Amino acid sequence: MTVPTTVTAPARASAGNDVLLEVRDLRTYFHVLDGTVKAVDGVSFSVRRGQTIGLVGESGCGKSVTALTIMRLLDIPPAEIASGEIIFEGRDLLTLSEDEMRHVRGNDIAMIFQEPMTSLNPVYTVGDQIAEAVMLHQRLSKKEAWNKAIESLRAVGINNPERRVKQYPHELSGGMRQRVMIAMALSCDPKLLIADEPTTALDVTIQAQILELIKDVQDRTGTALMLITHDLGVVAETVHDVLVMYAGRIVETGTVEDVLLAPKHPYTEGLLRSIPSRGMKGQRLNVIKGTVPNPFNMPKGCNFAPRCPYAFAPCAEYDPRIEEANPPDVACWLYTPAPGSPIPPRIRPRRPVEVGA
Amino acid sequence: MSDQPLRTPATSRVTALTDTAAADYEVALESLNQWQLAWRRFRRHRLALVGVAILAVMVFLAVFGPIIWPYDPLDLRRDLPGPQGFDPIAMPPFGSDGAGRSVFVLVANGARLSMLIGTTTMLIAVTIGVLVGAVAGFFGGWVDNLLMRFVDLVLSIPFLFIVLVAARFFGGGELVPLILIFGLLSWPGLARLVRALYLSLREQEFVLAARAVGVGDLRIAFRHILPNAIGPVVVSATLIVANAIILEAFVSYLNFGLKAQDISWGNALARSQERIAVGNWWWPFFPGMAIALTVIAINFLGDGLRDALDPRAKE
Amino acid sequence: MTKYIIRRTLGLLPLFVGAVVISFLLMRAAPGGPQAALAGIKSITQEDREKWLRRWCLQAEVTPINMLKEFGGWLGVLNCDSDTVPEIFFSAQGGLNVLPAALGGGDNGILHGDLGLSIRAGRPVVDVILERVPATLLLTTTALALWVGIAILIGTYAAVHRYSLFDQGMTFLAYVFYSLPTFWLGLMLIFFFAVFLRTSGVTDFFPSGGIITTRDWPPFNTPQYWAAFGERPMAAIVDIGRHLVLPVFTLVAVNIAADSRFVRAAMLEALNQDYIRTARAKGLPARTVIAKHAFRNAMLPVVTNVALELPFLVSGAIVTETIFTWPGLGRLFIESVGARDYFVLMGLLLVSTVFILIANLLADIVYAIVDPRIRYD
Repeated sequence: MTVPTTVTAPARASAGNDVLLEVRDLRTYFHVLDGTVKAVDGVSFSVRRGQTIGLVGESGCGKSVTALTIMRLLDIPPAEIASGEIIFEGRDLLTLSEDEMRHVRGNDIAMIFQEPMTSLNPVYTVGDQIAEAVMLHQRLSKKEAWNKAIESLRAVGINNPERRVKQYPHELSGGMRQRVMIAMALSCDPKLLIADEPTTALDVTIQAQILELIKDVQDRTGTALMLITHDLGVVAETVHDVLVMYAGRIVETGTVEDVLLAPKHPYTEGLLRSIPSRGMKGQRLNVIKGTVPNPFNMPKGCNFAPRCPYAFAPCAEYDPRIEEANPPDVACWLYTPAPGSPIPPRIRPRRPVEVGA
Repeated sequence: MSDQPLRTPATSRVTALTDTAAADYEVALESLNQWQLAWRRFRRHRLALVGVAILAVMVFLAVFGPIIWPYDPLDLRRDLPGPQGFDPIAMPPFGSDGAGRSVFVLVANGARLSMLIGTTTMLIAVTIGVLVGAVAGFFGGWVDNLLMRFVDLVLSIPFLFIVLVAARFFGGGELVPLILIFGLLSWPGLARLVRALYLSLREQEFVLAARAVGVGDLRIAFRHILPNAIGPVVVSATLIVANAIILEAFVSYLNFGLKAQDISWGNALARSQERIAVGNWWWPFFPGMAIALTVIAINFLGDGLRDALDPRAKE
Repeated sequence: MTKYIIRRTLGLLPLFVGAVVISFLLMRAAPGGPQAALAGIKSITQEDREKWLRRWCLQAEVTPINMLKEFGGWLGVLNCDSDTVPEIFFSAQGGLNVLPAALGGGDNGILHGDLGLSIRAGRPVVDVILERVPATLLLTTTALALWVGIAILIGTYAAVHRYSLFDQGMTFLAYVFYSLPTFWLGLMLIFFFAVFLRTSGVTDFFPSGGIITTRDWPPFNTPQYWAAFGERPMAAIVDIGRHLVLPVFTLVAVNIAADSRFVRAAMLEALNQDYIRTARAKGLPARTVIAKHAFRNAMLPVVTNVALELPFLVSGAIVTETIFTWPGLGRLFIESVGARDYFVLMGLLLVSTVFILIANLLADIVYAIVDPRIRYD
């Protein structure tokens, strides 16, 4: 399978035949005692077969909730999927029955989680937990599934898989467990792999190995990858395309080169500037001022306006949506003329940002 | 009974995202002190309020019952219809026992001794339990080892066994020995709990901070750490009260407890089984209901206190 | 695994020694002491009495040395037929007295299975206790099985269907049953099922006490009874079963109330873990996720908790057997407390403590089997 290297990722781009997953206007709300939190508030994007896509943003911006909504793993209530479609290979996952959805989970779409220490069941062996999924989806015998488990452990670079497969999770290191998680996810040859902060809980040296592994298996198997992270360094090394999320919305999309080297949205710019770098010794770290807005009390205009150094009049009044943006890859009144606003947008060309500068 | 029942689903399901929301909310509440917060949480616990209401009635009975409806051993109805005594219709409100004593007067007068035994037992047990647990948990080492092995030993002997033997051999039907027996045997579980709390609390920064400014061991153990352990201690104290009331009832029911002329709920139940075949249900029913209601109320109260005093509890 | 079991057993030994010491102190502290108790047994001769005094090393004066002698005799380490050191350590057969009789040791003291003489029955305590074991074993094992089984069913179902009508109803019932005094619950059950339902002519299925219908069967646990049992086994089992219903319900109600809540909490805790999300992400059916992944983890704290609650089963048996005149150890205990039958009390204390220690050991072993994280060495 060929892996596309050029990209036109915007959500509204006409979907070709190779579109694997298309998410349209997804809204996931949480009803809690104090009100409703719009965790995902109108997100649209698509993933093509074999494509790697990065979903980037601060914690709490809705990126994990987006993934869990696609997998339909949220508890309803308190969660509610208020609107949207999740078209996977022509079927809307939101309309499937729970039984039909089960055949998608683990089989067509697999997921890796942030916490390898707690994501494996402590009372069953690694082999049991991998073979379980294989037996379920591929209808193999116990023996065959066990061999498949050994194979998939070998495929993720675990030495002596015949021995490891009989071990319990507590006998393995954190990096080793994440490899097991990846092996488990890949054991049924999924078409889409969602990795939710797969390296965040690991040591830096292990992080690099795991990323390398994910890239490697992705190249080898041609599965599409959706990488969720707050770490722009991880994104830069791993994916082709980037979606930047802020407060439940996608605020900027583009190829990894475009977004990281020449960000358009002030938020993306702020994220890049806040990465510490060499040559900054003795200087203050650049941080984005303020905090994520209170989810119960979102600003009237642009969600980012209160923290935005470039905010001007329309930002407090009008809510920019990437679906209506022109150019279509950034939701910001600096680029799109604000409706009914007499003030013209201050169009800024994509300009390079030196990381940390 | 460790999970909080009868609540709306949303409260306990705060997702990662809403943690930020809760944090914002906490900021707004900072102006209230710990006790005001606890009181706010307690007031919202409906069952705990029901418990307080029932307990108020029982305390009223304990204080004023013997004054309003005094018990006189000679005040008997002698025209009994049979061995089962008067039923509640013939002799309102609760009927009479086989000797012609009003069951209502027994219940109203029994509250005083039953509540007294419950609370004093708790005071003794809490004093010893906190002391032993604090010393073991705070100092650790061989002191801890010695004390906890002793606690293990006491806990591995059936509680009721020792209580009944002691009550029979050393109780003599008197109130004070009985309370001492209950109190001296009720503390090991609490000591174990307090020790566990101290083990974790003594490692925390505020203890280090107190040490750094030269506060002595005893002061740290009882002035700095103890207030932080107060929640779980209060909750198990309520349970000790409830258990002591039930225990007294059983011991007296077996005639190993208080003398017959001391009226407690347990004594009101004594000998009620002898006439069971003639159907005198009111005789044990009402004293038993008084015990059951009191214990339910204490359990409600304990649940409310646990939620209110839990420092990790979110608004 | 064997090593692990041996280590755990050795860890329990100090507790056993402690229980032995306590039961000895109980005998010494009792008003009148064992001498008075022996004097109270009418069925034995003066000669026998003196034989028993020597056999148990009972001393006339209370001095530290005499106390050690009595304790040694009661344990079975010393042989007080002789009074001088070192003969006192040796049995009549010439071996060390502490050894088993087959190896030339003595036959007195608890180490040789001699728990003394029942004052009430005038027979060895061991016999008095053993004849009550079957009834108690029947009651407690039935109760334990139902208690754990039902608590797990209710707790799991309530956790999976949290806040459903079932869950809230069970929460309420748990509160109620948890607060009822056990013996009073038993009394009320007798009133309703055995008295009211019988006198109002609904059913006479529920007896008010006992283990068998005394007018239909020979006394329980006698050779005649077992002969009759052999002739009509079905009728005998039905008869016992009929008598079991109310006591078992009384015994388990409080424990089911408490433990169904405990199981529910443990299950909710397990269901909230990350590995449950992993299991669901694999596409496993909800049933498998709950029954395989959550259940086994939820059972870990439950096993520990049940083991910790086993002493309550002993206390519960005392209460229940008293109310339902059940011919078991609990009732024997109450009768012996009433009659100040020290030797039986000491024997019962030892037996029940050993039972609890063994139960704890079993719980440790079960825990080690269920939780692979426990290391045996």
